[in-house]
Amino acid sequence: MGVGPFSKQDHVEITTLGTEFAVAEILGTGIGFWLDNKWGTTPWLLIAGAVAGFGMGLYIVLKAAKTMQATKKPLQKADEKNGRG
Amino acid sequence: MDVAEIIAHHILDHNWGLSLGGFSLPITTHSVTLLAVSLFLLSTLAWISHARTSRAGRLLTTLAEEYITFIRDSLVLPNMGTEGRGFLPYFCTLFLFILFTNLAGMIPEMKTATSNISVTAALALCSGGVILYSGLRYHGVIGFLKGFVPSGTPVWLVPLIFPLEVISTVIKVCVLAIRLFANMLSGHMVLLCLLLIIFIVGKMHIAAGVGALVPAMGLEIFMTCLELLVAFLQAYVFTLLTAIFAGSVIHTH
Repeated sequence: MGVGPFSKQDHVEITTLGTEFAVAEILGTGIGFWLDNKWGTTPWLLIAGAVAGFGMGLYIVLKAAKTMQATKKPLQKADEKNGRG
Repeated sequence: MDVAEIIAHHILDHNWGLSLGGFSLPITTHSVTLLAVSLFLLSTLAWISHARTSRAGRLLTTLAEEYITFIRDSLVLPNMGTEGRGFLPYFCTLFLFILFTNLAGMIPEMKTATSNISVTAALALCSGGVILYSGLRYHGVIGFLKGFVPSGTPVWLVPLIFPLEVISTVIKVCVLAIRLFANMLSGHMVLLCLLLIIFIVGKMHIAAGVGALVPAMGLEIFMTCLELLVAFLQAYVFTLLTAIFAGSVIHTH
């Protein structure tokens, strides 16, 4: 039971993406904060960790979008029809 | 009335403070709930598997068979393929255990053990173990590691993509734990806060408290029904996501 071209599995994965993005950001920032405290480099590693975590989150979301797009024939057809193919 | 203290008392885990020969025993309200749920499930399922003679026993056996068919046909086979058959007992256990632990929180005087991050983290680690094992079993160590790099990736990108893929798998397992924990914790907090509205308003004036009783109890009943739905939904989602991740490790293309 899915809505539109997406299956039930896709819906569950889509609802997970938001949390995955947040966890990637928190993980990156946390590691940066911990290393900052350890090596006394405040605040540079925290900033670097936050940026890396943001990048990681983006990578996860974009990859999920790409794999879902690749397996959806109706979605591709709709894209071609709208000139986004 | 200290609202924060009341909420903390109802939500957090409490150590019973038992000790044996100088060692403190980690018997807490959550661990007792977990043990009670495990014992209940073990004894009930053992009874169901042997109770074909009575009418109720036959009914429950049919119910159990339907349940296993549901897990197999709608969760395991579509996501993991025929390779998932060997993992069916794990998924059946996972779903029932999470469901009954969630539902135990709805019984008065019992605690929701799944609103403790340690419990959900342990469950997620088990699922992570299953994902790792399924990858290693069907692809071997080299094949499993190769599966982290998507086919068609240029060689110079591999050192960048490989850690990203490994971290994203770890994050997926973390999300399993956080999702179940956050859903169960927030639901019970909302239930408690709605009840506390009556007493907070009642402190201003007793008549105002009585007036707040009706809307607060209406919301409380609605949220309790929603919590029952969430208990089923989160057990289902946890099992489904584990099956999807294990399937994505088995079928890497």
